Amino acid sequence: MFKYVKHLNYPVNIQKKDLKMAKSLLTQFGGANSELAASLRYFSQKFTMPDEKGKALLNDIATEELGHCEMICTMVSQLVKDATVEELKEAGLDGMYAEHKKGVYPTDANGVPFTATYFAVTGDVIADLYEDMAAEQKARAVYENLIDMTTDEDVLGVLLFLRQREIVHFNRFKQLKDYYQEKGY
Amino acid sequence: MLFDNTDFDYELSLFKIPGSDFSNTTKNAQFLEPLEAFIRGNSEKNTYVPYKKYTYLKLKPENEKEDLMLKLMAYSFIINDLNLYLDLNPNDMITFEKFKKYINEYNKLEMDIANKYGPLCLKETTKNNYDWLKNPWPWDKMGGSYYV
Repeated sequence: MFKYVKHLNYPVNIQKKDLKMAKSLLTQFGGANSELAASLRYFSQKFTMPDEKGKALLNDIATEELGHCEMICTMVSQLVKDATVEELKEAGLDGMYAEHKKGVYPTDANGVPFTATYFAVTGDVIADLYEDMAAEQKARAVYENLIDMTTDEDVLGVLLFLRQREIVHFNRFKQLKDYYQEKGY
Repeated sequence: MLFDNTDFDYELSLFKIPGSDFSNTTKNAQFLEPLEAFIRGNSEKNTYVPYKKYTYLKLKPENEKEDLMLKLMAYSFIINDLNLYLDLNPNDMITFEKFKKYINEYNKLEMDIANKYGPLCLKETTKNNYDWLKNPWPWDKMGGSYYV
């Protein structure tokens, strides 16, 4: 069960329109290493974690990642909010506008739609946790690519926060993986 | 530049969180104070990893509501981060005591904000009118406030 709280995990308030950045950022909502993929991956994996520690950690990180989805979607919608159709076309977002107008639809930066194959659930605790560690590293790398692509402090501040969360989650998944390996899994 | 190391001296005193000073229990002091933890995105003292020249954004609340919302987000953040740590270290009683203290502070602040500005959670929608609709939603800019 989930309860909604009316605030973001970290504040987002983007003043300047940046359509190309919106297109790139969208990958952290709908790409292979996105917050959505992370949230649903851990959500699915929690059902086969062998004890309380694993069930709790996977559940609690999945919940946090859903909050990060909301932050990414907020950034994308604010970056395109005041754009005209002409501006969207110039920035290469004509295909996106044709399909979704300014709706925030989960695709990667190249327009490839989100797919359940990003979940990567094996039911094997060690395989799943290695997957999760890799996913956190890949998401960190994507955040660094995105940070390299902007100079807008309103965007940078949020990306730096989200990148740091990938580092914290990696550490927690690694600790859980080590704990299960010591237990003989 | 907002993100270089000189920005570590942000004005913490402006929004110092009462009861968050655990300096007399520093034996196990691996966690930062809520606001320091929040702006870094990492509450552990030793695992923060900066990227290139960047550190983190200085958050500047501009009025009482923004100040309260920032504090609330900071408590929410550190509760979540300690939650992940405690999932794996449930017997660390020092950290668990901090966790409980932050939850109490969060609950008090949440009620304070709900009374002044309207509900943050559905369970606070108990006044004479249905004011769940009144608060701005977090994804709306609402005149440039960071903290809606």
